[in-house]
Amino acid sequence: MIDRMLEIEGMNVSYGDFRALWDVSLRVEKEEVVALIGANGAGKTTIFKTISGLLKPTAGGIVFEGTAMEKTPIHKRVEMGISLVPEGRGLFPGMSILENLEMGAYTDRGRRSKDETLEQVYEMFPILKTRKKQAAGTLSGGEQQMLAVGRGLMSKPKLLLLDEPSWGLSPLMSKNIFEAARRINNSGVTILLVEQNVRMALELANRAYVVENGRIVEEGDSKGMLNSLHIREAYLGAE
Amino acid sequence: MLASRKALFPGMVFAVIFALVPLFTKRNDLINLLVLIFLYITLAQSWNIIAGYTGQISLGHAAFFGLGAIATRFLWVWGTPLLLAFPAGGIVAVIFALIIGHPALRLKGIYFAIGTLALAQILKITVGNVLPTVADLPANYVATYNLVPRYYLCLILAIIIVAVVSLLSRSKVGLGMMAVREDEEAAKAAGINIFRQKTIAFAISSFFAGLAGGAFAFYQVSYYHDLPFSPIWTFDALLITFVGGVGTIVGPIIGAFFYVIFQELFLRTFPQLHVFVFGVLFILVILLLPGGLVEMAARIRGLIATKRSGLDSHANFSN
Amino acid sequence: MRNESRRLRVNWHVIAQSLIFGIFVGGLYGLAAVGLSLVFGVMKMLNVAHGELLMLGGYATFWFFSLYHVDPFLSLIPSAFVLFLLGMVLYKGLFSHLARLQEEVKIKNSMLVGFGLSLVFQNLAIRLWTADERSVSVFYSGWGFSLFGLRFPFIRLAGLILASIAILALQQFLTRTYFGKAIRATTENWESAALMGVNIEKTSAVSFAIGATLAAMAGTIVSVGYAIHPAMGLEWTLKALIVVVLAGLGNVGGAFAAGLLLGVVESVSTLFVGPYMEVVGLVIFLLVLELKPQGLFGKKAGG
Repeated sequence: MIDRMLEIEGMNVSYGDFRALWDVSLRVEKEEVVALIGANGAGKTTIFKTISGLLKPTAGGIVFEGTAMEKTPIHKRVEMGISLVPEGRGLFPGMSILENLEMGAYTDRGRRSKDETLEQVYEMFPILKTRKKQAAGTLSGGEQQMLAVGRGLMSKPKLLLLDEPSWGLSPLMSKNIFEAARRINNSGVTILLVEQNVRMALELANRAYVVENGRIVEEGDSKGMLNSLHIREAYLGAE
Repeated sequence: MLASRKALFPGMVFAVIFALVPLFTKRNDLINLLVLIFLYITLAQSWNIIAGYTGQISLGHAAFFGLGAIATRFLWVWGTPLLLAFPAGGIVAVIFALIIGHPALRLKGIYFAIGTLALAQILKITVGNVLPTVADLPANYVATYNLVPRYYLCLILAIIIVAVVSLLSRSKVGLGMMAVREDEEAAKAAGINIFRQKTIAFAISSFFAGLAGGAFAFYQVSYYHDLPFSPIWTFDALLITFVGGVGTIVGPIIGAFFYVIFQELFLRTFPQLHVFVFGVLFILVILLLPGGLVEMAARIRGLIATKRSGLDSHANFSN
Repeated sequence: MRNESRRLRVNWHVIAQSLIFGIFVGGLYGLAAVGLSLVFGVMKMLNVAHGELLMLGGYATFWFFSLYHVDPFLSLIPSAFVLFLLGMVLYKGLFSHLARLQEEVKIKNSMLVGFGLSLVFQNLAIRLWTADERSVSVFYSGWGFSLFGLRFPFIRLAGLILASIAILALQQFLTRTYFGKAIRATTENWESAALMGVNIEKTSAVSFAIGATLAAMAGTIVSVGYAIHPAMGLEWTLKALIVVVLAGLGNVGGAFAAGLLLGVVESVSTLFVGPYMEVVGLVIFLLVLELKPQGLFGKKAGG
C-alpha cells in the first residue's frame, strides 16, 4: 500500500476568534497536480499556511507520506520534503538571486545536491543565471516569480506548494510559469496549486478542489470541472 | 479598570487615617517614610496616565519631575510664597510638555520611548552643567523647616492625583485615552482625535509630575539640581506602576507602598535590594502577569471565592 | 604675523588630536551598535539592556585581570564566551517568550523586559564590584607613539583595530557562511526563512548571543582604554541606539561608519561646547528620529 503524498482530514483553523477553515479534507496522490480554486479570501492560502506549518489547526490531521505532521515544526517539514512558494513570492529582497537560491537549499536535503539543482534551475530559468548577483528586490514581477519557484525547488521537494504563481504577471509570463510547473511535475514532483486563474489551473491540474468561505464545496477531475456549469457561471464568466 | 464606588469609602478612610498620623506621632522617620510614599504615588500615578491609560510608554518622565523641582525651588527660595511657587512647578512642566508634545507624540511606540529618554537625558546634562553646585536652603529657611506641612502637601497631592485618575477613568476623555491604548486604528475610525487624546494625557501627566517635583524640591533641604532629572525617577515610576498594576487606579498606590517599605526594610542590610527585587518582579509581570499585583489579587480573590462556593470563578469575578 | 600662524597651528593640532580620539571611541560605538542592530534585525526586539551586557563584559575582563592576572586582551576570549552563554540563557529564559507576539507589542514588551534586566544587572554589578569606577591598568597602559606631534596610545589603537576586526569578521560571517545567510534571511523575512528550513528559534538565540558577545568585546576594550562603572549601561545603550538610527537597520558596515562619525562629532564638539558634547549626539538622534520616517525599520522595496 503506497502512502498518499498528502492527506488532510477534518481541519479547522482560526485566526483568533475568526474561523477561517471548516472541516477541510483533501488528498494529494504522488506525482499529481492538484488545484485549489476559489475566490479571494476563501481560505486557500490558509490551507497552505497550515500545511507548511505557519499556522496551527485547532482540529484535524495532516498526514504527509504516512507520517502525522501536526506537531512537526516548520523547518522540519521542509526537511521532510514540503516546499511552499508563498503568495507574493516572499523573497529576500536585499539578498542576491544566487543567495535566495542558496537559502532554498538550506536543509541538509537541499545542500547535498545544491550545485546540481542550481544548474537545473538555471536551465529552466536562464535569466536567473545571468542576473545571479542582482538583488532580488530589484527584479520584475515575472523574474521574481521565476526566482521564487526556482528557490522552492532548491530544497528538492517531494511536494511543491505554489500559491498564486500567476499573481501580477502578464498572460505570457503566466504561461511560462505554468509550463515550468508542468516540467517540474514531469520530473516527479507532486504539485499542489492555489490559483485565481481558474482556466490555467484546471488545464495544468489532474484534479481540483473548490474552496468557498473556508469549506471545500466541490471536488473532481479537472477536465470535468472545466465543463461544469457551476464553475462556468461563477468563475469563468460568459465565454 | 473603572473606579468602583466600592473603592471610594476605603479610600476616604485611608486618607483620613493618614491625615491624622502627624497628630498622633512625632516620629520623623515614619513621617518621612510616608512623604516618600506619597511622592512616589504621585510620580507613578502621573506616569500611569500617559503610559497606563493611553498606552504611550514615556521614558522621559524625570524631565517633568525635574522641571517642576527647579521651578518651585528657585521661586520659593527667592521669596515667592509656596502657594504660587508650588503650582508654578506643575505649570512649567506642562508648558514644556506642550512645546515638545507635537514632535514627540508624532513618534510611535518605541520611538516615543527612546525619544523621551534622549530628551530627558539632554535636560539632565544641561542642568548638571549649568547648575553644578549643591542647592542649599538659606539659613533662615533651614531654621524654620517643619516636616508636617510638607507631609500634608504630599498627602494632598497624592489624594488629588488619585481622584483625578478616578474621574478620568470614567470620563469621556479617559475612555478616549483607553481607546487609543487598545487600538489606535480602530479609535481613529471611531472618530477619536488620536493626537488630541495623547496631548491631553501628556499634559495632565506632566503637570502632576511637575507638581511632584515641586513638592520634592520643597521637601529636600539640600540636593543637586540635576538629581530630580536623573533617569532613576523614571525607572521608579515604571517599576512601581507595572508591578502594582499598570492602567489601574490602585496599582501605582500599592506599588508605591511596597516599593518604599522594601527600600526601608533593606536600607541597612542590602541597600538597593528593593530595586533588584522590583526589577525581577517587573520582568515577571511583563512576561507572565501583565496586570501586576492588582491582577494577582483579583485572581486570588477569584480562587478563594471558587473554593468557598464551588461555583465557576467567572461568576465571582469582581471588577 | 608669526604669532597668528603659531596660534593656527595649535588649533589644528588640537582638532586633529580630538579627531583621532574620536575615531578610537567611535570604533567602540560602532561595535556596540552592530550587536544591537543584529538582534533587532533578527528578532525585531529592542534589547535596551545591551549597554549592561557591555558593562558585564568589561567587568568580566576586570575580574580575570584582578583575580588571575590575565592580560585584558587575552581575556577577550573567555569573557566573550561567558557573555555568549549569558546571551543564550537570557534569550531562552526571557526573550523567546515574546517571540510569538504581534510586532508592535513584541517590540514594546522586549524593551520593557530589557529595561527590567538593565536594573537587575546594574544592581548585581554594584553588589559584586561596588559603585566605584574601575579600570584595568596594565604595564603598557601609558605606551603609545607620536606621529606629527599627535599622540596614538597603544591601548586605544589596539581597541580600534580589535573593533574593526570583530566587525569585519561579523560581516564575513554574515555573507559567507550558511548560518550567516540564514541570519540575514531571517532579518529580511522570517516566515520565508522558516519555509527554507531555517530554525528560527535557534537562529534568534544564536543572534542574541552574538550580540551579547559583541557587546562584551566592546566592554573589554572600554575597561582597558577607559573606565567602567555599574551605571554605564544606559549611556552606552543610548550611544548604540544613536548609531543604529543613523545607519539604519541591518547595515553592519554602515553601523561602523556611523559609529566613527558619532565618535568624531562628539570629540570635536568637546572643543566648542565642552561638557555638552553628549547633548550634540542626543540632538542628532532626536533629529534623525523625527526626520527619518521609517526609523529603525527602513523596509526595502520588492519581494
